[in-house]
Amino acid sequence: MPLNINLQQILLHLFNFAILFGGLYLLLYKPVKDFMDKREAKYKAMADEAAQKNSQADELKAQYQAKLDQADQEIALRKKTAQQEMQDKLSQEEADAHQKAEQILAKARREAEADKASIMEDASKQIRSLAEDAASKLARKSVSDVYDEFLNTADTAADGSDSSAVKGGDPA
Amino acid sequence: MDKKKKKKFLIVWAAVLVVLLVLIFLMGKPAANTETLQDVMKDGVLHDHNKIKALGMLMNPSVIADWWIMGILLAAAALIRIFAVPHFTEVPGKFQLAIESLVDLADGLARQNSPHRHKFLGAYVFFAGSYIFFGTLFELFGIQAITTTGASVSLPSPLSDINAAIALGCLSYGVIMSGGIAGNHVKGIGLTLKEFSLPISMSFRLFGALLSGLLVTELVYYSISLSFVIPVAVGIMFTLMHALIQTYVLTMLTTVFYGEVSLPQPKKAKKSKAKPKAADIAA
Repeated sequence: MPLNINLQQILLHLFNFAILFGGLYLLLYKPVKDFMDKREAKYKAMADEAAQKNSQADELKAQYQAKLDQADQEIALRKKTAQQEMQDKLSQEEADAHQKAEQILAKARREAEADKASIMEDASKQIRSLAEDAASKLARKSVSDVYDEFLNTADTAADGSDSSAVKGGDPA
Repeated sequence: MDKKKKKKFLIVWAAVLVVLLVLIFLMGKPAANTETLQDVMKDGVLHDHNKIKALGMLMNPSVIADWWIMGILLAAAALIRIFAVPHFTEVPGKFQLAIESLVDLADGLARQNSPHRHKFLGAYVFFAGSYIFFGTLFELFGIQAITTTGASVSLPSPLSDINAAIALGCLSYGVIMSGGIAGNHVKGIGLTLKEFSLPISMSFRLFGALLSGLLVTELVYYSISLSFVIPVAVGIMFTLMHALIQTYVLTMLTTVFYGEVSLPQPKKAKKSKAKPKAADIAA
């Protein structure tokens, strides 16, 4: 054949290629490739696991954040409620105190009024008593004096009318 | 290296070169070439003169070179498999990294050009790349073999033999066709056969590239006066370039065509055979 192409030589080369291909595949390519694939699979699994854990952590973080937000809202609500309750209580207490004060004041007024009335009554009683006493004393002491005074007054009056009549004065 | 050591090294190196040159010329006139340059070149191309007898058959030197390459590569692979692979660690050392890089290079090329089907292709690329690269570098070692005529020949790169190039080209074409069949069944054969010139172009590209290197090397080494200094560039640099370029070209072509023919083809929608209704025509 031209160029010394020889089918037997070609087949010999192909036979050698087959041996070399099989040998290299079994001895070198496959074990090294298997090792690399296993390592890749391991690191891929680790990466997947890390990604999964990361996503779980993100999810947990979101959950906790939601819970925190909820807790914040609850705290704010409770704070508001407590403030409102405190305000109500204060108002209530203030109203109670005011009412109590009013009651105390009213009671005091009533008592004062009662006291005043009592005092006034006592005073009037005392005054009356004193007056009666005084009157009785006066009455007892000066019946004679009064009589005397009356007499004196009458005398004086009598004297006066006489002198005016003498002088031409008013008979009254 | 300090200056003193550097000076010492240069002196020793120059002395060795001078001694070797003196010895070369003291050997007298080299034996006259038994073959003319034409014969050498013709044998380089056709391999019709220097045959080697083995296993009861007459073989081209490239087949013996194949055995050497096969033996070296398989022995290296076995040693790596026995002594290195069981001790591979998750954080690779330098050697492990080199081995993994080679495997990953083949697998990556297959994955890149045929993402839908690349498992077998990666293994084939690894084999073909290793064979072409180390097979091309093999000619640098100048391993001798005795021909049937009793002459000694330096074993060439196997792919500088048209038969080895055709074998590898056809094998690559067969691999491409297997991808077509796996991906598209019978249609895959048709898709592959459309590229009927592929085995020829791949074979002759390999053969031409490596033959040119071989011829230049034969030409240089034919004359003793050209055997100094020049082979450093011609022999090593060109061979390395050939090895890299041809490895890249064949593996790239194989993976690209494999990916193309193994890609599942979308089914064509069947044409509707129903006749249009009269009302539709009227409308």
